[in-house]
Order: sequence, then C-alpha cells, then structure tokens
Amino acid sequence: MAEAVVPLRVDGLSVVYGERPAVDRLSFTVGRGEIYGLLGSNGAGKTSTIRSIVGLVQPVGGRVEVFGLDHRTMGRRVKELIGYVPEVSLLYEALTPREFLEFVASVRRLDPKVASERARNYANAFQLVEEFDEPIVTLSNGTRQKVLLLAAFLHQPPLLVLDEPLNGLDPRSVRIMKELLARYAANGDRGVLFSTHTMEVAEQLCHRVGILDRGVLRGEGTVAALREKVRAGDASLEEVFLRLTEEREAVRAAVDALGGPE
Amino acid sequence: MSWREAARLSDVAFTELALQAIFALRQGNVLPPGPARALVPRARRRVLQSKLVIGGVLALFTLGGAYALSSAPLLHSSLAQGISSGEFRAGLLTGLFSLDVAFLWWTGMQVLPTFLAAGVFPLLETLPIDERTVARTASLLYLRLFDLPALTILVVTPLFVGLELGPLAGLAVVPGAVATVAFALALSLLTGRFFVRRVQGSRGGGGNAVVRWGYLVLWLLPAFAMFGFVIAAPGYFSLLRSIAETGSSTAGDLLFGAFPFPFAALAAITASGPDGMGLAAGGLDVLVAALGGYLALAAVAIYWVFASVRRIGLVPATGVRPLMPRAVALHSVRPAYAVLVKDLRIASRTPGYAFLILLPILDALALGLWTYASAPSATAANSLGLAAVTTSALLATFFGPAFFAIEVFAHSYARTLPLSGRSLLGGKVALVAGMYLVASAVVAGLTLPRVFDPTLFLGFIAAELPAVLAASLLELGILLRRAEARGLPITNLYAGAWIAFLVAIPGLLVASLPLVAFQLAGAWTPDLALSLMGLVALAELALAAPFAAGRERS
Repeated sequence: MAEAVVPLRVDGLSVVYGERPAVDRLSFTVGRGEIYGLLGSNGAGKTSTIRSIVGLVQPVGGRVEVFGLDHRTMGRRVKELIGYVPEVSLLYEALTPREFLEFVASVRRLDPKVASERARNYANAFQLVEEFDEPIVTLSNGTRQKVLLLAAFLHQPPLLVLDEPLNGLDPRSVRIMKELLARYAANGDRGVLFSTHTMEVAEQLCHRVGILDRGVLRGEGTVAALREKVRAGDASLEEVFLRLTEEREAVRAAVDALGGPE
Repeated sequence: MSWREAARLSDVAFTELALQAIFALRQGNVLPPGPARALVPRARRRVLQSKLVIGGVLALFTLGGAYALSSAPLLHSSLAQGISSGEFRAGLLTGLFSLDVAFLWWTGMQVLPTFLAAGVFPLLETLPIDERTVARTASLLYLRLFDLPALTILVVTPLFVGLELGPLAGLAVVPGAVATVAFALALSLLTGRFFVRRVQGSRGGGGNAVVRWGYLVLWLLPAFAMFGFVIAAPGYFSLLRSIAETGSSTAGDLLFGAFPFPFAALAAITASGPDGMGLAAGGLDVLVAALGGYLALAAVAIYWVFASVRRIGLVPATGVRPLMPRAVALHSVRPAYAVLVKDLRIASRTPGYAFLILLPILDALALGLWTYASAPSATAANSLGLAAVTTSALLATFFGPAFFAIEVFAHSYARTLPLSGRSLLGGKVALVAGMYLVASAVVAGLTLPRVFDPTLFLGFIAAELPAVLAASLLELGILLRRAEARGLPITNLYAGAWIAFLVAIPGLLVASLPLVAFQLAGAWTPDLALSLMGLVALAELALAAPFAAGRERS
C-alpha cells in the first residue's frame, strides 16, 4: 500500500560541513494537523535540518519530501508550500516591513486584497503597525522576528517551518504565537515543524517531539511516550531530554565542578 | 593600554570587517560551500587584492601624471599655449591631486556602509578596555581601510614627481599628498555619517524616496570630479592662460587659492622657481596663504577623523516617526516587477548601488549639456548626442553585473522564496534597460531640438535597445549559473569586483557590436546603417534570450 502523503517526510538526511557531520541519517515525519517539535542542545543539528528542508543547505545524503514533492526536483513548488522563519532574522535591512512584505507577497503571487487583509490582521495582532514604514535596519530583534512571522503566515502555507520562532518576542506576542500555532495546525491539513530548546514551550505546544543530539535522533514521540521510554514517571520534558541525551550525569558533574559562588 | 594594544585589537577587528565585506553574513548571505576554516584567510586575501587594485589605479594616475610631466614640452604646445611651463606643470599636478582626492573619497564612500554595518564598533564598546584604546582601535581600523591606497599617494606620487622634476620637487609634493589623503579620509567619514543619518534610516514612502535619491545624487560628486577633470582639462588651461594674459585678478586669486593648486604650485615652483611660474608677487602671497590654510585644515581633518570614527560607528540609523502611521496595505505585483522595485528601493538606501544607477543618467545629462558648449553645429550636436547614447548603453551594460550582488542581501531568506530565475533575470534586465532608456531620454530631451536628423537619433536609441537587453541577459545569465553552482558572487569594490569586470567583457562586446556595425555600414551605405545595426542587435537578443532562460533556478 502506498504511503500517505504527509506535510513533511525527512528520510535518512545527512549534512556535513567540511569534514564535520552536522546531521546523521535523520528520519522523521510531520503529519497533517500536527505540530512537531525538534528539540536539541546548541549544535545538535536542528538548524542544519531545517535549512536542508527549506533548501538552504545541500544535504550529502537522504531526501526531503514536502507533501510528496522531492525538494531536489521540485524546489520551487516545494517553496510555495512552506512558510519559513529562520533562527536569525537576517532580512533586507534597507527595506521597510511594508516594502519587504510587498516583495514577498509579489513573489508568492498573492492577490493584493488578500495579502493586505492578512498583513493588517497580523500587524495589528503583533503591534507592528507603527514600525511598518521604518527601515528594518532600525528595528529591534523582536520586531524583526514579528516581520518574519508575518511573512511566513502571509500565504497561509500548508507547512510551517519555524526555527526558534519565539526568539526575542515579548510575552504578549509569545502567547499570541502559541495560540496561533495551535489553531493553525488544528485546521487538519497543515503541519508545523518547530525547533526550540525551551522545553516548556515544546511540552505545551507540540503533539510529538524529536530529540536531536549531535546530529542523531535519540528519541521521538509524544511527551508521554518519551517519559515512558526513559521510565521518567511524571518528570518534566527537560528531565526526559537529559536522560535521552545521556547528559544528566554530565550536567550534575559540571555543576559540581563549578562549585558554589566564589 | 597603548597604541600597540590598539593595533592588536584593530587587527582582530579588521579580520571581522574583511569577513563581513567579502561574505556579507550579517547582511543575510549564506555561508559559502567549502571548509569554514578557509573563510578568514580567503576574506583577508580578497580584501588585500582589492586594496592592491585600488592602489594600482592610483599608481596609474601618478604614472600618467609623470608621463604628462615628461612630455610637457609637447603637451604644453598643444594644450596650453600662452601659459608658462611652471603653470602648466602646476596644472598637471592639480589634476593629479584632484583625481587622487576624488578616487580615494569615492573608495571611502563605497566601503563606509560595510564598515558601519559590520557591527564591529558596538562589540568593541563591550570589551573591558579603556576609552582611549577603544578610540585608537577605531581610528586604526578606519585607517586600515585606506592603508595601501593612501600609501600609494604618499609614496609613489613624490617618487615619480621626484624622478621627473628633481628630488626637491618630489619632496615639495609631500605636503600636497598628505593633505590629499587627509581630506579624502575626512570627506569619506563625513559622507558616511551623512549616509547613516539621512539615507539608511529614511522611512518608506514616495516623498522620502525622492529626498533619498536627491541626497544620493550628491554622493556622485566625487565620481564626477574625476569625470569633470578629464572633460574640463582644456578649459582649465585656457582659464590659466586668460589669467596669465590679464595679470592679477580676483578670478586669478580664487584659482590660485583653490585646493589643490597651491600644493601643485609648490612643487612646480621648487622645480622651476617663481619666475618659471610667471607669478606676480600678489599671486605668490595668495599661494603661501592658501598653503598655510590648507595645511592647518588638513591637521584639523586628521584630528576630527581620529576623534569621530568611534562616535560615528555607534550612530544608530533611526528615522523620525510620524504621529499617524500609514494604513497597512500591500501592493503585490508580478514577480519580475517586484524584483525591479525591490532593487530600486534597496539602491535608494545603499549608495554603492544608487551610484551605479545614477551614473549613466547623470553622465547623459553632463554630455547632453556639453553639446551646448562644444557643438555649435547641428551635425556636431548630432554626433555628440549619438556618442552620449552610446556611452549610456555601454555604462548600463558595464554596471549590469553589479546589480546581481544585491541578491546577497538577505540571501539566506530570499532563497527560500519561490522566485524563478526568469523573474529574477527579468527584473534585473528591466533595470539595466530602464537605465539606458532614461539616460537616452535625457540626451534626447537636451539635443533633439538641435540635431539635424531626429528620426536617425531616435532610431539609433531604439536599434541599440535589443543589444543592451542581450548584453544584460548574457551577463546576468552567466552570474545566475555561477550562483547556482558556487553560491552568489559578491561584487563590490572590496570584494570580487573582478567577477563583475570579467562578466562585463562579453556584455560590452555584445553591446558594442551593433554600434560598430552602424559605423562600418555608415561608411559605404549610410541609408542602410541603422537597419543593419537594428538587425545585428535583434540577432544578438535572439541568441542571448534562450541562453539566459535556458536553466530554471530551483
């Protein structure tokens, strides 16, 4: 029987920088209506995985399929299906949010009325209206992040790929984003891939999580299933994460080595 | 902390600056393929190469000046009959100093935005080092942008002048060389501050865009100083001659006192004595007073540069917010048109790109106006007008590859958008064609009432258009293929300018071929010359279009 078409299928993905492997034969899927959290420490390979999915990094092995379309052969069609928020908000510094979003809306061939209405709604929600005509170079990191979020939602993509999307956001915007993502996925046909190293956020938001450590997937499933896997009772996701990545003892040793305050 | 510590810190900071200048990572470019550890040596090597190229151009200016000095008797009789040999030498050296100031200032204007955008200064401020060391580090870092070009002016100019006019004259050039470098560094920094305050932080909207483009025209002044010198050299010498004939006058005092003539005159007087300059006592007084004034001003300029670099490096680019924000509405357009609009908007806040767009247009304006001064007959105006259109076509073609470098900005984001290679090319080619058409319209507006054959003139503009499109498609098609295979080539003055130059060569050949056909055919079948030109241009477009559209960007 043929496999069901899912928003995202990553199969045996490997990424290498120079001689250093960043991602090693990684496989996972993001189903319809699902928010999938990719968790990991700094340098675990989350961003490399995400950059491979959106076509910024050329993997040395494996494949990425978005709604059944292979990124290598159907690159532009795949890009039409994805809304992406990068880890670092590197935008056209010389443009204003309005100018940047007009460019994005044009490249995505959005109807001006539809694009304007969506932009207005999101700009109001994220309190971005006052900065809409300021050059991006003058904006704070949090405001740039809001511009990127707006750009990602502008075409209401069936797959959202978000790399640390809550970075720099104020508490109000964080709450809005969480609610928004939950409702977005609840539509049933869409998928959300979400990377973070904030365990509480992942625990609240994600239907399933994948725990990445030095480029390898150490565990995957619902938080409850992962707890069961490491026999963690009702421990927090942070505890589960440390057990799966075998970092629990190392963390304790590191704290002991630091000692108390001097 | 000491100057030695500042030098060590500036070396580290310069590495970061070189990395940002070459790879533009803070501006959103993606990491190029290949081992990461090779990036820093590669960046430093490329910056050094670029400085060597700029130093080489300045050395060529000096070599040209030295050649002119060595051929003075011949040039003197053809260019400047009626003035003394000393004045002629002073005139030549004035030209050389003017070119040096203009070129070094122009270089500074091109690199200052990268210097300020690299984010080195805010980082320096957080380090536990004293205020004086931070200021010294910032100053040394700024000086390092200009080190090889400045050394070329300070060493090569006295050397060549000394070889031509004697060692004393060589030494007498040194104050002029120092003042030249000091003024260029100060002007670069001043315009850099101006850029951050008035251009980079300017809000969106049509009115602000007009103001920005107006400011950016000012940025072109140094480039036109170079251009103007070449065009105005005969006029300059005739002015000197008329002053020599009428004796001391206010105009003469102004000319003798204007920078950099006093420094040039100092070397000429050292070589041939005050009598060789044919100067009256009053003229000598003006020169001495001006020399003193300019040397004092140069000292102030150097002091100001050292005192201001750090402060300017920390100036935030902020605009003034209106009380009532504009309504949120997005005007989406076709992707190729969106690329064109985006490039124009970026260029309106990025002097390097604005320069490339404005230069052919202002060049056309200058040449169009020049026809009134130098071409009294309709035939001559016609020829000059056609030459101006030709220049516009070649300049637009030459600068075309540089517009591809705009894609470096936010490349790590833009590459995730479903933008086709054809739309990208369409937008860029439309920009180049637009530059050509606007420049041609300016020439046509200024010369059409005076040319003897308006039909030929307009036909010439139309016949060259397909060649400009073909040249641009060829250049940008090559760059697009290269970008797909090896990442985006960054092509600015300090990074990979050679790529833009190399790609421009076939483009210039394509743009030139119909012009050559027009000239050749004009010699034996004048009636068919324009048709032949148009046919050649259309044939080029027919060949270039499939090449450019042949591969689709994923």
